[in-house]
Amino acid sequence: MVVRVPPVMRRVRSATLGRPRLPARLSPRRTRIFAFVGLLGPGLIAANAGNDAGGVATYASAGAKYGYGLLWTIVLITLSLGVVQMLAARMGVVTGKGLAELIREEYGIRWSVFATSAVLVANLGLCVSEFVGVGASLGLAGIPAQASVPVAALGIWLIIVRGSYRSAERVFIAFTIPFFAYPIAAILAHPHWGAVGRAVVAPHLHASTSYVLLLVATAGTTITPYMQLYLQSAVVERGAREDELAREEREAVSGAVFANLVAAFIVIATGATLFTHGVHDISSAADAARALNPFAGHYAEVLFGVGLLGASLLAAAILPIATSYVISESLGYEKGIGRRREEAPVFVNIITTMLIVSAFVAVIPGVPVISLLIGVQVVNGLLLPINLFFIWRLARSAHVMGARSSRGLPDLVTGITVTVLSTLSLVLVVVTASGG
Amino acid sequence: MEAAREALTMSAVNATQAPPILHLSSVVGSPLRDSAGERLGRVEDVIVRLGGVGYPPITGFLVRVAGRTSFLGVERISDMAPDGVVLRTEKLDLRHFERRPEEVLLKRDLLDRQLINVEGARLVRANEIELAHAGGSWRVVGVDTGPRGGLRRLLPKGLGVHIATGEFLDWAGVEPFVGHVPTVRLRVPHPKLAKLHPAQIADLVEAASRPEGEEIIQAVGDDDRELEADVFEELDDQHQREFLEDRPDAQVAAILSRMAPDDAADIIGELDEDRREPVLALLPVSHRVKVRALLGYDPAEAGGLMSPDFILLAGTTAVSEALREVRESPIAPELLTSVFVRGADGTLEGSVPVAALLRAAEGSRLEAVIKHEVPCIPPDAPFEEIARLMADYNLTAIPVADEHEAMVGVVTVDDLLGAMLPRSWRRRFGLLGED
Repeated sequence: MVVRVPPVMRRVRSATLGRPRLPARLSPRRTRIFAFVGLLGPGLIAANAGNDAGGVATYASAGAKYGYGLLWTIVLITLSLGVVQMLAARMGVVTGKGLAELIREEYGIRWSVFATSAVLVANLGLCVSEFVGVGASLGLAGIPAQASVPVAALGIWLIIVRGSYRSAERVFIAFTIPFFAYPIAAILAHPHWGAVGRAVVAPHLHASTSYVLLLVATAGTTITPYMQLYLQSAVVERGAREDELAREEREAVSGAVFANLVAAFIVIATGATLFTHGVHDISSAADAARALNPFAGHYAEVLFGVGLLGASLLAAAILPIATSYVISESLGYEKGIGRRREEAPVFVNIITTMLIVSAFVAVIPGVPVISLLIGVQVVNGLLLPINLFFIWRLARSAHVMGARSSRGLPDLVTGITVTVLSTLSLVLVVVTASGG
Repeated sequence: MEAAREALTMSAVNATQAPPILHLSSVVGSPLRDSAGERLGRVEDVIVRLGGVGYPPITGFLVRVAGRTSFLGVERISDMAPDGVVLRTEKLDLRHFERRPEEVLLKRDLLDRQLINVEGARLVRANEIELAHAGGSWRVVGVDTGPRGGLRRLLPKGLGVHIATGEFLDWAGVEPFVGHVPTVRLRVPHPKLAKLHPAQIADLVEAASRPEGEEIIQAVGDDDRELEADVFEELDDQHQREFLEDRPDAQVAAILSRMAPDDAADIIGELDEDRREPVLALLPVSHRVKVRALLGYDPAEAGGLMSPDFILLAGTTAVSEALREVRESPIAPELLTSVFVRGADGTLEGSVPVAALLRAAEGSRLEAVIKHEVPCIPPDAPFEEIARLMADYNLTAIPVADEHEAMVGVVTVDDLLGAMLPRSWRRRFGLLGED
């Protein structure tokens, strides 16, 4: 039998590539193992990418400057992040579409192009800072950034373009293992656990501008727009079905909780050492690692460096993917991890270009990372309220979500979260832009 | 089909005096004027009726006049241009808008959403919808999926109008998704999908989101149950599961009974354990027996790959009789490259390629043309062994026989190839299972 296959068919077929396929039947034993592994997925990856070089620097300076004083905000931030990430996962499962795709369909091409350009600019800047982080963490071990950064970029490119979604996901999950360095570093720092406990439950307010600023910056670095964009697209690419909704939501929330535990341990580690010894000013994550050495020992420095490396690699991989997802979705190009260039040219080219540009910029000696991060903060600060607003509106729309639309109390909680986070975000923009 | 095609092409649009193309984005938001040119309000959306043959006609507009959104029938307007919609009269007669069956709002329901490009068998996104006055009425003539349409809408209106109309997809080659439109749901058939190969439809289903995929399958199933079953055969495991899970047992059984037994057995294996028996019980008896037998084999061995459909004849059968069997058999052609020959005791003796039957001398019997040296394999033969034998013996189909040497099935080269392709290739082609 001869089937005439038009040449374009190959392209359509490629649209299914890299789609995860579930094993036909899982035996009960395997199901139990998978119930645990099910907690490791895009939610964990998305939220933990937030513990990147910039995040570590913010948490470390929060700990150095105010000790455990900002720990209570991390609890609130965890709740907010959990709510937002859960909604992104839910929308991915129910609609089978990415966030950028939904924004385009429901709110038109202008909003989607605005969001897309903001994502591109902010993520490109962040990506540079991640490669700076990679260079700095390996710099602690004496490896020059000019050698480590290109190798890291190439490795990440291979994982994204040559692997499949599943294999990439496994590697990204492995990138989160170095985060366990932070709890160990925190223990090595011998904190006063009683004081830590009190700081977690009792809000502690300073009426100083720098305290408020640091608070807002902590929220801003923990909840970033690309997290929701990546999570929702990844859930779609995973091919999660509606009966797996509860699992995907749990995974999104537990990922957020884990990411913030890590953040809390960074605050504890630096609070117990740098703060008590009067080292209050930390400007980068590598700074924090070096500063830890005299007080918590060489191992704490190494552990901090390892954590930084894992976080920077993870975020450097997630950022180009998230960006490429968003652009491909809003412009209607084929997308997917593991696609070759000929199958999804736009998707792959964006990732390749982003990796090359940011790795190149990152190794330029004396690149102004701080001002770069400030610029990123402004763009992200403007993008986040828009992103959150759309998430809120879309999640409660019966038209989009059908029976899964959020109503009543969950909707109210989302509304409050979105409002508070948006306000914080805009405050951060104003303060940063005015040079505060 | 040809006649329909003819009607769809509507020579007036593409040939001699092609009417000017009007962009949806320039109509939406433009002023509504009365016959004297007085501005009355604004056009909010354009309503068209889908479902018929040919280009969908515009039936009306959603207009905003004095703070209220109302319906304006197309028969009440005299002209439509980028600078506004002009009323036939000076009097404005507005009605409350209610969706009628098969009616969609172009901006709200189609623009910026995915469509099926039927000619290319792929999903595209509508950046712009093109309208024209043709055949006595305003109609949707095509969809722009390129950057021009998007750019025009992105730029401020004054700049956007300078972007010329680019190439766009003719509506005849496009099928919209309407599952999200209330009242239209499931009422609009997608006749153009039937032109595609089942494998292409399956690819579209896999590339689309869940509700869109469901819509494609529903539409295909409403028109042609056979095609629906073919599409299911082509879907990957995950999507087979997804789309079968929500269906009642009777529907699943109806789909399975239209499939080849080996494909049906594969799908039964995908179902939840507690649904397998009820679904099996609803299959026609002969089908059920074959499927049940196949389910007993390990899917990683010959038994799990074979088809139980083959022609097995006694050696004394006349060649003409064997050819008649082939001619009248309902078995799929790819399974019938050879007929198999049994001895007096029922054991498998050999095979005869259909080409050899055609070449055989008039009046000869199968015994005269039989190839005895053809290997047969047990149901537990591994794929590598089957591949080796097929290559060594130049076979496209190899018989499977049980311990009593009675033939139970046949493994064809296409199925083996599907199972044997290197993992990375399979992933690249989107074939089978987990990576």
